[in-house]
Amino acid sequence: MKNKYGAKNPKSWLLRFHTQTAGCSLTAQQPENNIVRTAIQALSGVLGGTQSLHTNSMDETLALPSEKAALIALRTQQVIAYETGVANTVDPLGGSYFVEAMTDKMEAEAEKYFDEIDKRGGVLQCIEDGFFQKELARSAYQHQMELEKKERVIVGVNDFILEDEKIDIPVLKIDKNVERDQSAFCKKIKAERDNDKVKETLAMLRDAAKSDGNTFEAMMECARAYVSVGEMCDVLREEWGEYSETQAAMSAS
Amino acid sequence: MDKKIRVLLAKPGLDGHDRGIKVIAAALRDAGMEVIYTGLRQTPQMIVDAAIQEDVDAIGVSILSGAHMTLFPAILDVLKEKNASDIILFGGGIIPDDDKAELEKMGVAKVFTPGAPTEEAISFLRDAMKSKKSDENIM
Repeated sequence: MKNKYGAKNPKSWLLRFHTQTAGCSLTAQQPENNIVRTAIQALSGVLGGTQSLHTNSMDETLALPSEKAALIALRTQQVIAYETGVANTVDPLGGSYFVEAMTDKMEAEAEKYFDEIDKRGGVLQCIEDGFFQKELARSAYQHQMELEKKERVIVGVNDFILEDEKIDIPVLKIDKNVERDQSAFCKKIKAERDNDKVKETLAMLRDAAKSDGNTFEAMMECARAYVSVGEMCDVLREEWGEYSETQAAMSAS
Repeated sequence: MDKKIRVLLAKPGLDGHDRGIKVIAAALRDAGMEVIYTGLRQTPQMIVDAAIQEDVDAIGVSILSGAHMTLFPAILDVLKEKNASDIILFGGGIIPDDDKAELEKMGVAKVFTPGAPTEEAISFLRDAMKSKKSDENIM
């Protein structure tokens, strides 16, 4: 950040990062196993020094998470934080030959990508051309093919399967009235708020979007005036247009 | 040689999870089908319009947002409204077994859930096309 982009604020030189465990690693089959998968992934995040962590719920392949599954996901973090001791050390794996070698390898591979992105005209150009989407789709397809050819084992999916398996964890059902209630709530808010203030703050947001202004500050003002996220996004869509995936992104692999 | 099977793949609603549908797109294409992908945030109307314009045999939608019990029936309704119910509607996503059964009763030809091998979607479409053709021959 300092050398290439000339960032002056020392805070901008730091790498702060968030980790979310991998949704695509979760399986609908034997869903309790997902607790184990998530725990191992979360642990790797912590061992890697993450500052912020999200753990997936075991039932995310079946429905929106139940209260209980979400709580287990939280407990997973708490077990790592309070029972394992890995958070007592800045870099618990520092000096491990194997891990350091993998880190170097990953760094070299990342550098290759950075060079490739530069060669393709930078990040914005790559988004326009669907380069990132294409790379993601290619790796997802490759992963799926490895799984189907059994070159990669996923426990409970293509190996270690039991006969006549039944899923017996509770699955969250969303009450149909939620939509009606939320819609009524929005209507009530829109009728009761100060709509002059709404117009004023949305105009602020539009100005910021048109110029190089700070849209975040304007959005905070909008929120204070009870402007809905949809109304804010409408303004941004009108000013900036909307991302639409190019067909180029689809000609994967 | 047989005409290639044409499939429109779509993501309806506010759901950005597109890993699955792209895997399906690549698998169907590698199986020799013609695949058109609409991208994210499509309405049922947009999906059916695109399907008619592109003259596809089947529409496949992917829904991981939990809104499947609203979106699938809405697509079926638009298909009916436009006299396009001969287009096969299938789909997949995070869909509980009870809902899957209900959707298939409503007229969704097949609902795939996580872990289904791509081969299943391919053979489903081939079989569905075969029975569609034999129906047409009888008529």
